[in-house]
Amino acid sequence: MKASYNWIKEFVDISMPPKELAHTLTMAGFEVEAIEQVDDDTIFDIGITPNRPDCLSIRGIAREISAIIGLPIKDNPVKIDKEEGEGPDIDIDNPDLCPRYCSRIVSGIKTGPSPEWLSKRLESCGIRSTSNIVDITNYILLELGQPMHAFDLDTLSGKKIVVRKAGEVKSFTTLDNEKRPLSKDTLLIWDGEKPVAIAGVMGGQNTEVSEGTVNVLLESAYFNPASVRRTSKLLNLSTESSYRFERGIDLEAVSFALDRAAQMITENTGGQVTAISDKYPDTFKPQKISFSADKVSSVIGVDIEKSFIEKTLVNLGFKIELAEEGMVATPPSFRNDVEKDVDIIEEVARLYGYDKIPSTLPVMQMSPASEHRTQELVKALKSSMVNSGFSEVINYSFMNPDVLDKLNLSSDDKRRNLIYIKNPLRNEDSAMRTSLIPALFNNISLNLNRGEKMLRFFEISRVFLPTDRKLPDEIVQMAAVFHKKKASSIWQSKHDGFYDLKGALENIFAELKLSNVSFIKDSNAAETYLHPGKAGYIMIDNNKAGYIGALHPGVAEAFDIKGDITVAEIYNIDTIINMIPSKITYASLPKYPYVERDAAIVVNDDVTVSDVMKVIHGMESDLIETVNLFDIYKGKPVPEDKKSLAFSIRYRSAERTLTDSEVDQLNSEIIKRLQDNLNVELRS
Amino acid sequence: MLNDLHSIKKSVREEAERAGSLQDIQNLKVKYLGKKGVLTNKLKFLGSIPKEQRPEYGSSLNEIKKYIEALLNKQEDIFKSSELNKSLQTQQIDITIPGYYIPLGHLHPITLVLNEIVSIFISLGFTVEEGPEVELDFYNFEALNFPKDHPARDMQDTFFISDNVVLRTHTSSVQVRTMEKNTPPLRVIAPGKVYRCDADVSHIPMFHQLEGFMVDKHIRMSDLKGVLELFIHRVFGRNTSVRFRPSFFPFTEPSAEIDISCVICKGSGCNVCKGTGWLEILGAGMINPRVYEKAGYDPDLYTGFAFGMGIERVAMLKFSIDDIRLFPENDKRFLEQF
Repeated sequence: MKASYNWIKEFVDISMPPKELAHTLTMAGFEVEAIEQVDDDTIFDIGITPNRPDCLSIRGIAREISAIIGLPIKDNPVKIDKEEGEGPDIDIDNPDLCPRYCSRIVSGIKTGPSPEWLSKRLESCGIRSTSNIVDITNYILLELGQPMHAFDLDTLSGKKIVVRKAGEVKSFTTLDNEKRPLSKDTLLIWDGEKPVAIAGVMGGQNTEVSEGTVNVLLESAYFNPASVRRTSKLLNLSTESSYRFERGIDLEAVSFALDRAAQMITENTGGQVTAISDKYPDTFKPQKISFSADKVSSVIGVDIEKSFIEKTLVNLGFKIELAEEGMVATPPSFRNDVEKDVDIIEEVARLYGYDKIPSTLPVMQMSPASEHRTQELVKALKSSMVNSGFSEVINYSFMNPDVLDKLNLSSDDKRRNLIYIKNPLRNEDSAMRTSLIPALFNNISLNLNRGEKMLRFFEISRVFLPTDRKLPDEIVQMAAVFHKKKASSIWQSKHDGFYDLKGALENIFAELKLSNVSFIKDSNAAETYLHPGKAGYIMIDNNKAGYIGALHPGVAEAFDIKGDITVAEIYNIDTIINMIPSKITYASLPKYPYVERDAAIVVNDDVTVSDVMKVIHGMESDLIETVNLFDIYKGKPVPEDKKSLAFSIRYRSAERTLTDSEVDQLNSEIIKRLQDNLNVELRS
Repeated sequence: MLNDLHSIKKSVREEAERAGSLQDIQNLKVKYLGKKGVLTNKLKFLGSIPKEQRPEYGSSLNEIKKYIEALLNKQEDIFKSSELNKSLQTQQIDITIPGYYIPLGHLHPITLVLNEIVSIFISLGFTVEEGPEVELDFYNFEALNFPKDHPARDMQDTFFISDNVVLRTHTSSVQVRTMEKNTPPLRVIAPGKVYRCDADVSHIPMFHQLEGFMVDKHIRMSDLKGVLELFIHRVFGRNTSVRFRPSFFPFTEPSAEIDISCVICKGSGCNVCKGTGWLEILGAGMINPRVYEKAGYDPDLYTGFAFGMGIERVAMLKFSIDDIRLFPENDKRFLEQF
C-alpha cells in the first residue's frame, strides 16, 4: 500500500528522515518496497502482509510506528456538533455475515470537485479523485482503513437499509456499469425494495452519488471476511474495500470512521447530519491470551526482560495483566491476527529486533542423514549422461494435449488419459505431461532454429498418470534425444546416431552394475512414433525397462525436425532401483593366460549380432571368456544380401594354460555350430 | 704376436672412428667379431700357440675382444639413436588440429545449485524427502494454516486440478506429510518443482524450491539464524552479510524473511538489489503450533523451524543470470555454460 510521509506525520511526531523511517518499518515487518518523492512529500510503497490488515491505513501505519519508536499517537478529535433527525432504519438478516452496520444521513450537501489538497493526497496514494463525496469516503478508507460507501438518498426507496443475501436475484449492475452475476449466498445491501450494493465489494449504479446529489446515506460497516472474499472471487472483482474487508477491519472503529466522514462532508460541502444508526448486536469481546515470559525467551533463544515484554505489548495497544503463572495479554480490537502465545512471541521478537537475536546452532541427537534413494539414483544417472555427452534440460510439467496426435499415439494409449489444469495460463499448457518426449522434441526444434548442431539432451522428471485415487501416479522417467548432423566435427564417425545413444545408455547400465541388459526388437514397434526398422526395447532382467529408436520420419516432420534423430526412454526410474545389485563381490583375477582367435563369418543380412553371440555363448564349454565384435563389413566381395562379421573370441581356463590344439578344436566347433544354426560361411 | 693383437686394436679404433653409418659399424662387427672375423680366427688358432705363452696371449685376446665389443656397441648405439632421431623428425603431426574428444554434457544450472545446497544440508545431518507435485489442498494449504477463503492464499497464485487438488505452490507441502510418518527429532529437506499461475518477465509458472525444517524439543529461533547463516556463508561466501526481518507466513510464527548483502554491488546499491543493497533469498520462521496440531504432534512439546528458498533465485545470483525465463528455455548455448 502507498503511504504518504506527511500524512503519517499528522498522527505521530516523527523526526527521522523518510529513508530511515523506511528502514525502521522494513526491519519491523513492513517491507518498504519503494520510496518516491512527490512534490514536498515522500510516498512509501509498503508491503502489508495478509495478517496485518490493521496497517492498511495511514493511521494504522502511524500507530505501528508509534509503538516501534515509543511515541504517542495523535488522533484528530471527531465531533458532530449538531445532529438533526433520526438515522436510517437498519435490518440485518445475517448478523454472522454483517456483525455491525452504522449509518448517518447527510442532507443538503453540494457535490463538486474536491479541494486540491484532498485530490492530491488521494492521487499520491494511488486513488483517482472523482468528486468530493466519493473522495471523502476514499479518504477515510485510506486514513482509517474503514471502507465507506455513500448512497444517493433520493434514489433509495425509503430511509431504510437491509442487509440480506441475494436469494433469487441473479445479477446486479455495479457502479462501474458492469452487470455482475450473483450466487444466492452473495450478501447484498438493499433499500426498502431493491438491492443497492454488493456488500463490501462495490455499490450499485442505481443509487450512485452523482452531480446533482443533495442527500447522501453513508455506510460504515463490518462484513465477514470469508464472505466478502467468496463474493470477490465469484465476481473476479477485487476493490480497495473488498481487499480490506476480506482481511478484517477494526470492528470497534466502524462508528468513529462514519463520524469522521460525516464531519468532513459537512466541513467541505455543508449540510446537516442525522443521528447515528448503529446496528451492532454482539459487541466485540476481547480475547485474553496467557503466556509466560520464560517461553518467550526460550523460543526466541535469548533472555528478554519481563519489563521489555510488558512495555512492548503496551505500546502495541495490548492490555497486560500479571497472573500468578505468567502474564495475560488482551490484544486491541484491531489486532485480529493475535490469538495464541506464539503470536505474542512474534510481537516481542519483532520489536526486540531480529538482528539482536544471537545465532546459535541447535543441539540435536546425532542420526544418520541419507539422500533419498530415487534422488541418489537420479543424480547418478544425470552424471552418467553428462559424461556421455548429453546435456540436461528441465522442461515444464505442462503439455499441450494436441501433441499426442503428433506422436501418433493410438487412441487407447494410456498416455492419452490426461490430468487437466482448470486454470491454465495457455491452452498449450493445459495438461500435466504423460510423456517427456514432446518437450525434448521442442528443445531440439528450438535449438535447430537457432542454428545449433549436435544436440544431445536428456531430462529426468515426473510424468503424471491418473489413478482412481485422489492423486495421480507421479512416475520419474528419463528420456534422451540425440540429433546427429553430418560433418559437424572433423572426427565425426559415420554410424547411426542410434549407436551413440545406445552407447550412452550402456554406459549408464554399466555404471549401475546392471549386467542383465539387452536390446530386443519386438514384432510391433516399441512406439508408434519410432522408425519401425530402427527401434526396440531396452530389457533389464527380462523386463521392458524402456525403448530406444530412431524417430519416425513422419513424426519428425510433424515436429519440424530434420536429420538423424534417436530417442530413448526409461519408463520408471524407481523400478530400476530394485534391479541394482546391492553389493559388489570381487572375482579373483585369472592365474592363467588367455588365447585369442578371430573368426570372420558371412551371414545373411537378417542375422543379428545377438543371434551369433547367443550361439557362441550357448556352446557347452566354460573356456569361452569373452566374444568381441570388431568389424562389420558390407560390400564386395561379400554378396549383396549378406554381411561379414568379425569376432575375436578369448579363451581361458581357470585351472591351466590352454594348448593351441584344444583352442583350435573348440574354435572350429564354434564355426561348425554357426554353420549349422545360422548358415554362416567362413570368410576367407 | 701380442703386437699383432695391438695393431688389430688400433685398426679397429681407427676404422670405428671413420665409420659414417650404422651399417659401417655393423660391417666392422662382422669383420672382427663375426663367425669368420679376425678375432674369431685368432681364437681358433689359440691351440697353435706355444703352451707357455697361451695364458697370456689368451687373456690379451679376450681383453681386446671385450674392448672391441664395447667400442662397437657404443658406436652402434650412437648411430642407432641418431638414425631414430632422424626418422622421428620426418614423422611430424599437426598438433594444432583439435583433439578427438568425448563430448561433454552439462547439468542444468538448477541441478547444479540444488546438488550443492542438498549436499550442504546433508553434511548438517538433514535427510532428503520428496512429496507429490500434484498435491491435496490439505497438505499444500489447510495443514499449513491457510484456511479456505483466507487472503493468505492470494500470496500464491494456484493452479487447480479440482477443488481439492492443486499443483503444489511450494515444497512446504512436504512438512506435514513427513511429520505424519515420523516422530521428532526431524531434520528434513525437500527439494522439488513447484507451480504458480504467473508468467511475466520475472515469473515462470514452474520453478524449483527447497524446503527445510527441523523439529525437536527446545529448538530456538536463534538456531534458525545460526543454521541459515551457516548455509548462506557456504553458498555465497563468508563475507556475505545476512539480515533477518519480520514477515508473515501462515505456517510459521514468528516468521522472517532473510536478505543477503547484494552479491553484485556488495551492498552499495545497484539495479539487481533495486538500490537497497539487500537481496531477499529465504523465507523462514518457527513452525506454527497449528501445523503440529494438523500433523498430530503435541504443540506444547515440540518447537522447530522451517525455511524455504527459490532455487532459480539462488542460481541467478550465483551465476549472474538476469532473466529467469532462460531456465525453462533450454538453449544449448545457455546450458553449455554450466
